Amino acid sequence: MSEPLLETRSIGRTLPGPPPVMLVRDVSLTIEPGKFTTIVGPSGCGKSSLLYLLGMIDRPTSGELLFEGRAVSKLSGDARAKLRLQRLGFVFQFHFLLPEFSARENVMIPMQRLAKLSYEEIKARADALLGELGLEGKESKTPDKLSGGERQRVAIARALANDPALILGDEPTGNLDSRNSENVVEWLKRLAHEEGRAVACVTHDLDIAEQSDVRIEMLDGMIEKVHRK
Amino acid sequence: MIRRLGFLVSIALRHIARRKRQTAVAVSGVAVGVGFFLAVSSLMVGSQNDFIRQMIDVAPHIIVSDELRSPPPQPGTRVFEGGAVAMHGYKLRQEVRGIKDWQAILAAANAIPGAIASPSLTGGVTIQLGGHQEALAIVGVEPEIETRISTIEDQLKVGRLHDLETTQGGIIIGEELAQRLGVRVGDIVSASSSAAQARTLKIVGLFKRGNTLLSSGSGYVLLREAQSLLGRPFIINRIGIKLQDPYAAQAVAANLEARFGYKAQSWQERSSDLLSLLVTRNIIMYTVVSAILLVASFGIYTVVSTSISDKQKDIAILRSIGFSAADLQLIFVLEGILLAIVGVLAGWLLGYGLITLLGNLDLPVLDGNQIPIDRSPMQYAIAAGASLLAGSVAAWLPARKAAHVDPVDILRGAA
Repeated sequence: MSEPLLETRSIGRTLPGPPPVMLVRDVSLTIEPGKFTTIVGPSGCGKSSLLYLLGMIDRPTSGELLFEGRAVSKLSGDARAKLRLQRLGFVFQFHFLLPEFSARENVMIPMQRLAKLSYEEIKARADALLGELGLEGKESKTPDKLSGGERQRVAIARALANDPALILGDEPTGNLDSRNSENVVEWLKRLAHEEGRAVACVTHDLDIAEQSDVRIEMLDGMIEKVHRK
Repeated sequence: MIRRLGFLVSIALRHIARRKRQTAVAVSGVAVGVGFFLAVSSLMVGSQNDFIRQMIDVAPHIIVSDELRSPPPQPGTRVFEGGAVAMHGYKLRQEVRGIKDWQAILAAANAIPGAIASPSLTGGVTIQLGGHQEALAIVGVEPEIETRISTIEDQLKVGRLHDLETTQGGIIIGEELAQRLGVRVGDIVSASSSAAQARTLKIVGLFKRGNTLLSSGSGYVLLREAQSLLGRPFIINRIGIKLQDPYAAQAVAANLEARFGYKAQSWQERSSDLLSLLVTRNIIMYTVVSAILLVASFGIYTVVSTSISDKQKDIAILRSIGFSAADLQLIFVLEGILLAIVGVLAGWLLGYGLITLLGNLDLPVLDGNQIPIDRSPMQYAIAAGASLLAGSVAAWLPARKAAHVDPVDILRGAA
């Protein structure tokens, strides 16, 4: 077992009441680089809530989250935003592309915010990512001119923009037909296996869960079972 | 930092470019506000400057007269200096009216760099022509000096001030008076005062002033002519001083008064009631105009506020990508500022157009003159500054909401 990229120590998330609702309780898990991890479970079992905690969008109300060995749940909002920008990429069920911007510009946004590369380099990298995902020729199209599968691939390109260590997916195939869905899963697997990134996805699609290296089953906000290949 | 700002500006620009109609409404609100601010304030400031300039020009910047601010000390206190003495009912010493030692005051005033002091004697005479009598305040001047401190030369319709020197017993009177008396240049009138014999004066010039009351009741003669006509040889009762910087008048006047004891009035003191009227006028103007600009900024508030409500999903996605709360707030504040900038630019054009229009108006009351308009860039700067400030605040208020959007709520709601 390789060194975990992300580790949770009995994290919980309770919505303040009344009555208080426990979304996630006492979850301890590790997310490893090079592995495709899925989190499955029935609706309302807390799998999306857990993903938001892992993605540092939400803060746990108990327990600790370690990212690359560093406790991050008490970090300031800005520090967590910076970590997300540099190390994380998100892919959501709904592509969540910015409607005013072209495919290329959507991919450029995280890089422009990070401002590590020059504008020309950023543009070239965006085009290269879109090309890799088979979107050559569609760079200038706005999201409403793209098909569902294309949009989701633009979203993957955007998630990869800043070369993240961790890719998080919230039902990334939930809105796609089976062919496009298959395509996206292939991509996620490749990112883990060939590029050595940690990939973790929430899904209710058991076919996808079957293909993952680590399958975490959740029920009532708790981990019920962990399958490893 | 600048790069980040530029990037956030580009996002804000996209947002407002998408909402064309709302943007147009907000921008035109600001533009109309700025345009009318410029038109109104250029008029107000222009007329005020014109008014003040006339106030400064119409008379010397400082007038030293033979009056004292407090009564002269009692003879008793002169004898027993510092003593507790009070006397009543004694006979006061008769003093000759006029400024004593005026040469010293003149020298002191002329010693100020750029300052010119002109001595004069003013007194009342009666002008007679046929059976017609008119009271007239004559001003005895040295034409050589007087022309340099007053605008009388410009107001002469006929003749020149120097004609007083070349014509024995010459006098310059106002056009209105000349009309009433039915005289023209070259005519002879008779003048008398309580102190001396009547003598004849020849009209050598006519002046016209904006103020008919003033121009109908005064006349200019040579200083020594006035001295003999009023029976007060070698005496002057007024020193007019023109300064290089009119706004130094108050300080210089106070200084002269402290040194020589005679009342020295600056133009500000002489027209303090009018100046305070101008202050009130300015307060009214800026209140009304700020209200216009404030109302214009409501449009910006609405646009930014709606934009934030519409963009909840985008805000959540940008937050998840790694934009900070401050980034998001800034994007929406920038939207407001961009709207304000476009509005200001359009308003400048509108204002420039209105000012040009006003400047070309030919109103009958102005007697062929144009409306005084202040075209200084200062007005444009004030309008822009006020609009940008109002726009930023109007955008900042709703933009705080953008910073507080919890991405989890939005993501969960959308899923």
